[in-house]
Amino acid sequence: MSNSNHNAGADILLDIRGLKTYFHLDEGTVRAVDGVDFTVPRGTTIGIVGESGCGKSVTAFSILQLVEKPGRIEEGSIVLNTGGQNRVDIAALDHDSEELRQIRGKDIGMIFQEPMTSLSMMYTVGFQMTEAIRLHMDVEKDEARDRAIEMLQAVGIPRPEQRFDAYPFELSGGMRQRVMIAMALSCDPMLLIADEPTTALDVTTQAQILELMQQLQEEFGMAIMLITHDLGVVAEMCSEVVVMYLGEVVEQADVDTIFHNPQHPYTQALLESIPRLGHSHEGRLNPILGSVPDPYHRPSGCPFHPRCTQIITGRCETVHPEISRLDPRHTVRCLLHEDPHG
Amino acid sequence: MIQYILHRVLLMIPTVFGISILCFGIIQLPPGDFLTFYVAELSAQGESVPEAQIAQLERQYGLGRPWYVQYFLWMKNIITKGDFGRSFTWNKPVSDLIWDRIAFTMLITLLTVVFVWIVALFIGKYAATHQYSLGDYIATFFGFIGLAVPNFLLALLLLYYSLQLFGLSPAGLFSPEYQDAPWSVGKWIDLLAHLWIPIVILGTAGTAGAIRILRANLLDELHKPYVITARAKGVPERTLIWRYPVRVALNPFISTVGWTLPDLVSGSIIVSVVLNLPTTGPLLLGALLQQDMFLAGSFILLVSVLTVIGTLISDVLLAWLDPRIRFS
Amino acid sequence: MTATPHAATPSALPPVETPESQEDMRLLVAGQWQLMWWRFRKHKVAMVATAVSLLIYFVAVFAEFLAPLPRDHYAADYTFAPPQRIKLILEDEFGNREFHPHVLGYTVEIEAVALRRVFKPDPEQVIELGFFVDGLEEYRVLGIFPSRKHLFGPKDPTQPFYLFGADKLGQDLYSRLIFGTRISMTIGLVGVALSLIFGILLGGVSGLFGGTVDNIIQRTIEFFRAVPSIPLWMGLSAALPEDWDAIKRYFAITVILSILGWTGLARVVRGRFLSLREEDFVMSARLDGVAELGIILRYMLPSFLSHIIASVTLSIPGMILAETSLSFLGLGLRPPVVSWGVLLKDAQRVQVLATAPWLLIAAVPVIVSVLALNYVGDGLRDAADPYSR
Repeated sequence: MSNSNHNAGADILLDIRGLKTYFHLDEGTVRAVDGVDFTVPRGTTIGIVGESGCGKSVTAFSILQLVEKPGRIEEGSIVLNTGGQNRVDIAALDHDSEELRQIRGKDIGMIFQEPMTSLSMMYTVGFQMTEAIRLHMDVEKDEARDRAIEMLQAVGIPRPEQRFDAYPFELSGGMRQRVMIAMALSCDPMLLIADEPTTALDVTTQAQILELMQQLQEEFGMAIMLITHDLGVVAEMCSEVVVMYLGEVVEQADVDTIFHNPQHPYTQALLESIPRLGHSHEGRLNPILGSVPDPYHRPSGCPFHPRCTQIITGRCETVHPEISRLDPRHTVRCLLHEDPHG
Repeated sequence: MIQYILHRVLLMIPTVFGISILCFGIIQLPPGDFLTFYVAELSAQGESVPEAQIAQLERQYGLGRPWYVQYFLWMKNIITKGDFGRSFTWNKPVSDLIWDRIAFTMLITLLTVVFVWIVALFIGKYAATHQYSLGDYIATFFGFIGLAVPNFLLALLLLYYSLQLFGLSPAGLFSPEYQDAPWSVGKWIDLLAHLWIPIVILGTAGTAGAIRILRANLLDELHKPYVITARAKGVPERTLIWRYPVRVALNPFISTVGWTLPDLVSGSIIVSVVLNLPTTGPLLLGALLQQDMFLAGSFILLVSVLTVIGTLISDVLLAWLDPRIRFS
Repeated sequence: MTATPHAATPSALPPVETPESQEDMRLLVAGQWQLMWWRFRKHKVAMVATAVSLLIYFVAVFAEFLAPLPRDHYAADYTFAPPQRIKLILEDEFGNREFHPHVLGYTVEIEAVALRRVFKPDPEQVIELGFFVDGLEEYRVLGIFPSRKHLFGPKDPTQPFYLFGADKLGQDLYSRLIFGTRISMTIGLVGVALSLIFGILLGGVSGLFGGTVDNIIQRTIEFFRAVPSIPLWMGLSAALPEDWDAIKRYFAITVILSILGWTGLARVVRGRFLSLREEDFVMSARLDGVAELGIILRYMLPSFLSHIIASVTLSIPGMILAETSLSFLGLGLRPPVVSWGVLLKDAQRVQVLATAPWLLIAAVPVIVSVLALNYVGDGLRDAADPYSR
């Protein structure tokens, strides 16, 4: 998986530019996503990583306009290329428009962190699955049922005909996440957004779910956007990685570059803070200094400067770095790598 | 499910037993018994009661014997013969007097429950989905007013204003021409035309409470992950709200009917007194004021027991609607 | 939805202490009551409601001073006299306008057809009003200090002054409303105090012992909640002996109201008890070897006292409404005791209402006090958990 194509100008499925999603609270405005740019190539797995509160989930929610009040997409475009010249800017659609609803669940499927609460306990698995199928595919009830059972089978649920009539509370967490995946993929989406899909599951189930997602990608050929704070999962699953810090993308590159040649001090610190086989730091881990700043008090200049070990005193506190392109698919936002050509 | 219903019915038995003891206590509390009153009443009118009849009544109700014997006889007569004792003010068996009244009380209460439900459902849903909007504030404010104004006051105000504006009194359940007429289509329509007034008056407090409950529950549910899942599937917003969060918020709502029912029954009694409806209220009040205790006690017994049954039905309904309870 | 728990994954970063701002420091050292007060203060409506409630209780305490007339003063000449309008400016015969608060007396005509007395304001009879005027009778402030002063009233106490009109005995409704405040507001307090004793005792026992005791008490509570309250109250108060005096009756009614009132409080107490028992700080106190009673008094009581206070405040309005309803039906308090419900009883009949609609004014204090106490209780409930946000 880790060696799929990443040519420049590869067929881009989703192009996010200048995305800003703010939360207007009584205490002030939280700029959860503050100018995010990245692209998702067709058919690949892209990982979005960062600490809690870095805006990775809000980015994912913004893509389907699922951010709820008091959150709001302020600026930016989210262009979905559904093939050929068919481009839609999702950010510009009305939040309850027919167009947006046709993208939700059909072109882009989504699964969430909490399989225990992501399904309604009031309806059967079958009802919730066929609801999505019948919304997006022109099929009769029976066909929808067949399709749902087929999908349940595809995600490895034993005895899918019986599970179809089961209520979610009768299933285990891992099974529910499988149902969620089956539901998200039931209309053949081009992109599957997975928001920390394994965080709430136990370790063995985590591995099974990840493996299932890889296997389904081979089968269905959709792109996957995997939001996680687990670098191990990223190394295993993704071909490209987007590293976020305080609502900004600080580095984007293919997975090998991120792990072997990270350029942003934050990415480097992140990697040093996790144990890795063969990379012993005399048996010690280096935690990142400090903690994520309070969302109402963003540091000036480069948001990472208070915690950075390679700070250029006098500049990093005041200058907000622009994105520098180190090579066609490796960008970094750091004054150490300032692009001399602007 | 069957087990659950059986369990609930079994739990109801001690409650009903407790109620019957309580009502019997109320009957026994005032000094003297109904027979003394009865005899005194008749003597005052210059009539005498034949010794034989007194003896017969004494035997029938176990008067003069220990209270538990009297209680046992009272219960036995009710269960086996439907005989609730005698009303000395009306000089009739209690059972001749109460059933019509109880039926009207239950009719009004039931319709009020339906009214409360429908109104609260729509307003509560609106208030929750438009939190902090003008409409929400208005709903909240009216909610508080509805809770603070006792419904007999509403009834009084209504009486006063209809008297002022239309010169007529909206009291009663029938227009004079239908008052003693046999049941017909016309009488039913006339009944419905009068019925909405007590229903609205009675329902105000309940609706206010129910709106608050539904709004709070719905606000809790609106941002749950399963709602976001449904939205991410592309379900239209309107369908989504009714189908997912409202559906869940309904559960605690249904279970509150259980305890709004006693309140509604209570309210209906006092509103009926003001509006002079042919329900339990005025007759119960009259009986209590004249210490016609068999009549009063029987009313309280029946109203309470029917309320308990109503609560049971609403609980069973809740269980049936919630798959989590239905399947456990 | 952005919050991701620091799971035991490799990238979970250890949090490092950041310097607290002064605001945070203040929050850290503040006690529970301090936090509650800060939180309650933010709730503007609750603050206003608190002021209103305190004002109403103030009226209850100083009723004799605030009411222009003694409680039982009546004047057959003024049966159902309508309310008078207070006029501030008096014009003398020379056209000079001067500040002189006054009301006009009545002329009475007998309506020929209905044989009803009709009161009309009489411009000839100027009844001057003043502050701190002497009243008809001497009374005692707080039952101790004798006084004749009233906050305001007619300068000549024998002249008619009916701000809110008169009832069927020619009694001043305004004065009676003020006296009614005392009974109506205290019956709520006394009733709730009784309920609280029952509630804490039974709820505490239920939560503390659990098992069979808990089960029995829970069933009892369910039983009382299943019974419609008004018929039960009606039955019990109708059974009160006729010859009981006012005081006995007053206490009997409070007892009857708290027969049902304790259940709600008992539920709150029990629920709190059960949830607190599982709290870490209770467990740590237990591990430290603090005796069970010590734990309850020293650790548990302070942390649910706030909830109890909120619940108590929220149950007073119910008591007020219950008393009003019962007295309105004629089964609760009876004249000569004056409560808002007793006053409203006069308005029960449509015919009376048609002649004297001002009798309905007794509803206003009921609504205001119930609303105010509800808002106070709501604010307290929100503030009761200062650590939640």
